Amino acid sequence: MNNATLLKVQARAPFELYFAGEALSVSATNKVGRFDILPGHADFFSVINPDSDIVIGTDKEDININVSNGIVCAKDDEVLLFLNI
Amino acid sequence: MRRPNAIQKDTEEITTVRDLTGVFESLATTQIAKVKSKVEMSKEFFNLLWGKYSQIRFDPDSRLTGRQTVDNGRNVFVMISAEAGLSGDIDQRLVETVLSDYNPKTTDIIVLGSHGAQQLLQRGITYKRYFRVPESDRYIDVSPVITAIQPYHQAKVYYEEYVSLGVQGIKTIDLIQTIQAMSEEASDSEDIISEKDTIFEPSLEEIAGIMETAMMSLAFSQVILESGLAQEASRFNAMSVSKDRATELVRLYNMEYHRAKRSENDRRMREVIISLKRKRRVNSYVK
Repeated sequence: MNNATLLKVQARAPFELYFAGEALSVSATNKVGRFDILPGHADFFSVINPDSDIVIGTDKEDININVSNGIVCAKDDEVLLFLNI
Repeated sequence: MRRPNAIQKDTEEITTVRDLTGVFESLATTQIAKVKSKVEMSKEFFNLLWGKYSQIRFDPDSRLTGRQTVDNGRNVFVMISAEAGLSGDIDQRLVETVLSDYNPKTTDIIVLGSHGAQQLLQRGITYKRYFRVPESDRYIDVSPVITAIQPYHQAKVYYEEYVSLGVQGIKTIDLIQTIQAMSEEASDSEDIISEKDTIFEPSLEEIAGIMETAMMSLAFSQVILESGLAQEASRFNAMSVSKDRATELVRLYNMEYHRAKRSENDRRMREVIISLKRKRRVNSYVK
């Protein structure tokens, strides 16, 4: 698979690393609604809704993470998820 | 001299105490390793978060200003103690340090941990709020404590500091100063993120505010972790001393048991010899 079509994702809580690696997509929910971050997405900063699910789609499986709250930052196909803060 | 049966019973009881303290000692060692790794992870998390925060708050003067909007003019001491006993004398030292700085006219006390709360009440000191020490392997929720300290002019945190396995001290910090100190270790990013080129949902200000609260929570969580580490180390030391003492007692009881047993055997032997001699004497009279 061509790396240009992948996101570099890190999903971390203060005491836990949920995921670090390449992914096809990141889906979460904010005040506006459900959103997906795909490669080529505009630079984006958002607060994730409390007690919601995040789905990190990889070429092998979808990783589901239930979080109490969080912030997502996407810039230049790099996605950082600060969870349970 | 005590009877061998009584000594044997005491030895069995002390052996149980020794085994139990050994288990506590092992648990404390495991806990220390676990907490150390958590502290390292939370430092990495803080550095990443600070990196993003410094990109949206690129003017250093605008950083960490969120708390200044509310101020009740009083100070608060936040005391982090253990949730239970068996942690040596460290909580007692913590309470003494807090009380040496405490002025009830200007300062309130918020206490975390039932052991510290009990010790304050025993000294006739009333505290404003009490919280259980938040504890979880995956998530430490300190938001109720952060909400409680936000209206205060200054929040000083008193906690037990882990220096080494053998040494634990009492430390005092100001939370905001701590975040500033932590941020000095993390590097500021040279990239700037502004509303011109980035979508913010709901808004840049709201996100920056959430990040500031998150960093304060993180600093506080680290203090709780370090405090827990010091308590575990203190518990480890107390248990090591108890185990050594119990081992020594078992050795002394074993010696006493063998002496008592030998003495009892000697007494029986003497009784047998005396009775044999008497019997011989009686037999010789009869002849």
